[in-house]
Amino acid sequence: MIPNKIMYIGLVMVALGFVTSCSNDDNSPTPTPVATCTDGIMNGDETGIDCGGSTCDPCEPDGMTPPEFSGTYSQVDHMGRPGINTVFGADVEGEPSVKDAHNVTIPSEMAATFQVGYQARLEAYHDVYAGLLGLDPADVNYENNILGLDAATLTTVLAADVLDVAPDAPTTYFNPGIDNDMDGSILVPDGDEIGLTGRALEDDVIDVSLILLFGGMTGDRFSGQDLDDDGTSDLPRLTSDGVGITATLLADFPFAGNPE
Amino acid sequence: MKKKKLYWGLGALAIAGGILVAADHIDAPSTMGTTADLADFYAFEPTLGSDNTTFIVDVQSNVLPDLAYGTFDENVLIEINIDGDGDLVEDYVIQAIPRDGRMYFFMGDAVQTGLDSEVLVDSPLGDVEISGTTAVVETTDGGVKLFAGPRQDPFFFDFFQFNAVIGGMAPGGFLPSGEAANTFDGANTLSIAVEIPNSSLDAPTATNALGVPAYKTWVTTNRKQ
Repeated sequence: MIPNKIMYIGLVMVALGFVTSCSNDDNSPTPTPVATCTDGIMNGDETGIDCGGSTCDPCEPDGMTPPEFSGTYSQVDHMGRPGINTVFGADVEGEPSVKDAHNVTIPSEMAATFQVGYQARLEAYHDVYAGLLGLDPADVNYENNILGLDAATLTTVLAADVLDVAPDAPTTYFNPGIDNDMDGSILVPDGDEIGLTGRALEDDVIDVSLILLFGGMTGDRFSGQDLDDDGTSDLPRLTSDGVGITATLLADFPFAGNPE
Repeated sequence: MKKKKLYWGLGALAIAGGILVAADHIDAPSTMGTTADLADFYAFEPTLGSDNTTFIVDVQSNVLPDLAYGTFDENVLIEINIDGDGDLVEDYVIQAIPRDGRMYFFMGDAVQTGLDSEVLVDSPLGDVEISGTTAVVETTDGGVKLFAGPRQDPFFFDFFQFNAVIGGMAPGGFLPSGEAANTFDGANTLSIAVEIPNSSLDAPTATNALGVPAYKTWVTTNRKQ
């Protein structure tokens, strides 16, 4: 009985001593690494050679050596605004890939490199619908959009593939519902709209892009209108893809939901 | 006739190109489906009026079968480039690269511009365990939040209908809501997220098209040579 009791007390004292030496919130000085932390072997309560445990410095994550980051890393992919390379960089079989070139071009050289091709692509998309509508492609062309940008200006802006991020404004890729002065001008910038301030997870960047490309001055130029009231659309629906976000978001960092 | 040819050319293009996926998902022959394939980029105020900015970069996606997905590549360096003066040359860079189950972040003045980079080993921002299903977040003494791991892919787009549209095979264009389907519903992606105090950057002198002061930002993936 007595030896057991002594052992018990001894264990308590060891435990107390351990707690004291490990506590972060007391006033005792930081434990000084002892000799076992430099002897080149894993001993005591070390979790690696001369590291970890109650007295030595923490081990590096891989247990032994700090990670190594040497070498040169060369660019293989680029992205600024969503969808730019996908929509405008469409490759033509047998020709060098525009998309690959885009991914290894620095932004300051992008407009000069890609604007002409992007503008041609923008017109080609309109020609697709001229064909489907039975119209002369020469009669169905890009129309200045809700931002008042002509085809050359729009494609110059888009060719330089960077995302605007305003540190001191609410974030929205473009919110067509905000019209602070209630002047009915929801989309044409008259100073009160908020947009181009970043990109939130829930922003409908595809619809915004479609409106800017196919919406014309009103934003709804090709939106599936039924011109003759016969119950069917006479114009294609090109200003919305019809889908909203389906992923779960979190209220806090990192905001994107757990994987499915 | 010439226009007709172009029209059919576009149709053939969409078919020949197979499946092209946005926003930057699987966008180009050289990176398509590789471990360095950028999927998406977001930058936003974490809460209205916050003095921080959150950046999220997604690489890899399992939106379609047979794509590289699931493991960050230690030979791929992710960079978030930030230009404050509007010359479209980065003034700051945030880097992320994995080692042994952790993602290491670095941030510094962009002393190296152009297409080649080295890791800014003298400017560590912090590091975080690469998460499993549940997010593990590290907050540094400097108020920086870090995350790396699999997430739901929040992008949404009826991408198959888009292919039909640009292929000239959809006279009505996109489908009305209810008939349209989000191609990315159920997909996962590998995300890194980093939230920094705006005070760690000089205020931008550049503006957006509406005259609001704004950084010009872009992300890249870079493969070890």
